[in-house]
Amino acid sequence: MVTPLTVLLYASVAALASVPGGLVRWSADIRRNRWIGWAHALAAGGMLGAAFVLTVVPGVAPLAAAAGGVLGVAFIVLTHSFTGMETLDLSRPDRADPTAAARLVVTHSLHASTEGVAIGVAMAVDLSLGVFMVLAIAVHNIPEAALLGGATRRGSEGGVRPMGLALLSNLGQPVFAVAVWILISAAPEFLPWALGFAVGALLNLVMTELLPAAYREVGSTSIGVVASVALALIVLLGNVLP
Amino acid sequence: MSDVVLVFAYGLVTAVATGLGALPFLFVRTVSGRTVGRMNAVASGLMLGASFGLLAEGTRFGGWQTFVGGFVGILFILATNRFLHEHHFRPGVTGGGDGLRRMVLIVTVMTVHSFAEGVAIGASFGGGMALATFITIAIAVHNIPEGVAISAVLRSNGVSVARCAGWSIVSSLPQPLMAVPAFLFVGAFAPALPYGIGFAAGAMVFMVLLEVLPEAYGKGSAREVGAITSLSMIAMILFQKVVAG
Repeated sequence: MVTPLTVLLYASVAALASVPGGLVRWSADIRRNRWIGWAHALAAGGMLGAAFVLTVVPGVAPLAAAAGGVLGVAFIVLTHSFTGMETLDLSRPDRADPTAAARLVVTHSLHASTEGVAIGVAMAVDLSLGVFMVLAIAVHNIPEAALLGGATRRGSEGGVRPMGLALLSNLGQPVFAVAVWILISAAPEFLPWALGFAVGALLNLVMTELLPAAYREVGSTSIGVVASVALALIVLLGNVLP
Repeated sequence: MSDVVLVFAYGLVTAVATGLGALPFLFVRTVSGRTVGRMNAVASGLMLGASFGLLAEGTRFGGWQTFVGGFVGILFILATNRFLHEHHFRPGVTGGGDGLRRMVLIVTVMTVHSFAEGVAIGASFGGGMALATFITIAIAVHNIPEGVAISAVLRSNGVSVARCAGWSIVSSLPQPLMAVPAFLFVGAFAPALPYGIGFAAGAMVFMVLLEVLPEAYGKGSAREVGAITSLSMIAMILFQKVVAG
């Protein structure tokens, strides 16, 4: 039996996965390096896989889901205009702009909230899909936290702050996971909308943030291989595990 | 009409439908750099959406088989791309160089993925005429946006609308050609289907990531390209769900 507490615990695991990501940046400076491109590509493939797994949930009204998807895309577009994120890039922070780090954290928090919606929806469909979604998002949080930690760190500051920031900006995941789960449990007719919203937002995050950032670092061949293999692995796990 | 001719005719209908995808480009007059970016974004979204449909179909038959097929599909595109690079593929066609390589790749990818669809048409005759007619109509309709995807890439490289339609139809010719043997040897083809579908999906996703998306980002803002790609993808997924019932 899934309760709000179960959802909270699982979604917190996903958010906690950002801690080792913060450590990566702390111990070795790998900025402006092909590894950053591959980390983005890995995260992109993983999120595409998570979106795919949601699209094959049976018995979801396609029109409502597609409408939710359009809302999800619109949400990310609005988020970017709101924070002026268009000129910001996790891996290429503008050090002259003191608000850049703050805007990054705000943007990343909104970004993490949409992942929380995905976890909440998956938990509402069934527990095994929910756990699977938690794993997919947790894995994706690791490289993401590493990138965020690197972008917000200045000078020789210690690693505690980037780690704390990464964790803080991922708090939206458990909060939104629980909120969406409660909403769907109370009113199941929202399921297709929330599911579509999560898919649209995940897709647009991949297309607007992760992939362009990945292509800026490394050539499209290795980005293509990393992202498509990551997608294939998530699709396979989504098919074999639950 | 003998059964074999009928199966072939059904396959041909779906191939010709792909050519309809070139028609919207009669109304797109000028092809500016920004338009090229948008067209590539639409093509990326449609192809990724189609791949999601293929993955959904393939994993119903078997996750591992689809995975293996997908992996081989990625390798296939890597090899094809390297081959085209090494042979300095540039006969005197507009676009030349990278543009031409991209065109050859997309026609190759779409042609390869038609094999799996041809097998699906042929195999569906085993389930009776009603099912076969339904599947044929479904695949024919589903081919139209694929024609749009091919034409978007070709047209943005300066190919005429008539030729876009022609190449779109060519990319679907494996459908009538594969439908007949699949119809005659349904039993032998069935186990290979998830591998074939996985192969098509892997090749298509990798092709998008390797060529079509980078081209789109190079010609437009990440925000615009990202939104167009995501919306096209959602439209294609919805379209497939509605057509497939």
